[in-house]
Amino acid sequence: MKRGELKDPRKTFGEALLALAERRPEIVALSADSSSGSGLSPFKKRFPERHLEFGIMEQGVIGYAAGLATTGKIPFVAAIAPFVTARPFEMVRNDLGYMRQNVKVVGRSAGLTYSDLGPTHQSIDDVALLRTIPGMVVLVPGDPVELVKAVEAAAEHVGPVYLRVGSPPIPVLYESEADCPFRIGGGITMTEGKEVTLIGTGAALPRAFEAAQTLRAEGIEVRLISLPTLKPLDRDLLCQAARETGRIVTVEEHYVAGGLGGAVAELLAQEYPVPMRMVGVNDRFPPSGPYEDVLRDNGLQPDQIAQAVREFLSAAGSKGKGRRGATRANTAGRRRSGAAR
Amino acid sequence: MLTAAEDLQLRRSALQIRRNILRLIRAGKAGHVGGALSAADLLTALYFQAMKIDPLRPDWPERDRLVVSAGHKSLVLYAALAARGYFPEDLLDTYGSLASRLPGHPDMHKLPGVEASTGALGHGLSIAGGMALGLRMSGLASRVYVVMGDGELAEGSNWEAAAAASHHRLENLVAIVDRNGLQISGLTVEVMSYEPLEERWRSFGWGVQRLDGHDFGQILKALQAVPFQPGRPSAIVADTVKSRGLSFAEGKVEYHYWKPAPEELAQAERDLDWIERSLAG
Repeated sequence: MKRGELKDPRKTFGEALLALAERRPEIVALSADSSSGSGLSPFKKRFPERHLEFGIMEQGVIGYAAGLATTGKIPFVAAIAPFVTARPFEMVRNDLGYMRQNVKVVGRSAGLTYSDLGPTHQSIDDVALLRTIPGMVVLVPGDPVELVKAVEAAAEHVGPVYLRVGSPPIPVLYESEADCPFRIGGGITMTEGKEVTLIGTGAALPRAFEAAQTLRAEGIEVRLISLPTLKPLDRDLLCQAARETGRIVTVEEHYVAGGLGGAVAELLAQEYPVPMRMVGVNDRFPPSGPYEDVLRDNGLQPDQIAQAVREFLSAAGSKGKGRRGATRANTAGRRRSGAAR
Repeated sequence: MLTAAEDLQLRRSALQIRRNILRLIRAGKAGHVGGALSAADLLTALYFQAMKIDPLRPDWPERDRLVVSAGHKSLVLYAALAARGYFPEDLLDTYGSLASRLPGHPDMHKLPGVEASTGALGHGLSIAGGMALGLRMSGLASRVYVVMGDGELAEGSNWEAAAAASHHRLENLVAIVDRNGLQISGLTVEVMSYEPLEERWRSFGWGVQRLDGHDFGQILKALQAVPFQPGRPSAIVADTVKSRGLSFAEGKVEYHYWKPAPEELAQAERDLDWIERSLAG
């Protein structure tokens, strides 16, 4: 993979799983319909007997996966994200979490991918839900290199894993595989900086990456962290960022409540409280529309992320007066985005 | 065919299981007694005759599996596992205590022989189906039995699981419906009708037999006939009596969950003593 190259994450997932399945005979793929949309066509062609179809049966498929895992298989259940997370939540919690089964749930086309299909198909609460399950690992890779490594790590890890995958093409952000020290529970510092830390995850990572480039060109020293594991969190890296930069901005294609923003805030509020801003979906059902437009409607385009950081810095920078300044800036920002809608 | 001696032996085992259920309730001071006692003879037939198991090797890969989908029947599962020697019967006296290895609904990580952590209704058949599929893919001839309540059949997830089991031709999967006809708020068919039950299973592609769930001859004859149809999963609709064995509670909805007064517990002991005397004769 070359830096800057755009890859379809579903296809990348399917290829990574197939490569693993060649050397791990325990791996089986479970589909709740739309297997090709999950990137599983090459797997199905190569291992038809290990590709198990369940149709639009999103509760049942989780129980079947749990049962398969008790016999030593490593099931990867892939489907459209809300239908393997919110829909069968109790099965995921009990049959995979409580029963501690070695099943990998792959929610694809997650986030605002299905912007045009509306809130029934958008998946912006999956991380919040699955993060509450004890023992569940939550992986949200943000570039194709992280994604391949996340698939490998998920297969290697013994226990339930949620792997969140988008579908719009995402750029390769790393120079090489060696440049990406991915591990479960580890964040990755992509650029150093002392003024503010910008944390991106999943499909929001490349946009945070672009925003960080813009800000650095303006002379703002932004530290950029990729956080491809939302559970367990990289406690040391996050506390270090809070301590050294004093300000944190999170960016995600998910509700900030319960998502990356919520998770980081939960940690830092107890360990090292610093001012934060959270860019992501707020408490509403987003509108339907073209993907890029819906991202803009939620403040998730790179220029909006950069602006959020600038406003945060100017508010925090003006000390005593700054408090009122911060309030003014935020209110104005909200008014502006309200008018845009 | 079951010999008279085998039948007598099974009745004695079933009595031991019923005594263990009372022991659990005495320890915990309450429990889901009705559905435990209605399924007691079914579990006796499975654990003491039909299943290929070794209590000393609960993780033996080639074992048959039993999933109690209606997890509130945990009392009969604990009672049967203890009677079969999976763990010492003394452990039954910890039921109801803090962090007991015998929680109100079974936890597969706390006790040997518990194959799935059930309790939320409508999960067991999917889990059992996955086990059956995995065993077949691994080339093992083991069977998977799943004991379900009839009230539980209102959960749509069961019918997802039933469809997938016939689609994937799981002839090593056996569902047993403990059809005691009662659930917490009344007659099951009045709370949410499921009749014609056998036709339902048949229409989902299962082979079906209906029998008396307290008749060991009938139960074992059916279990020996599995799969009822080649290439299909098998469903047994077992007519049972809720709280079977307790004279004052049989067929009464009030005994779904039982918090016994001392005089009731004493009567329950006398009822089981009476069964014991009838077996001695």
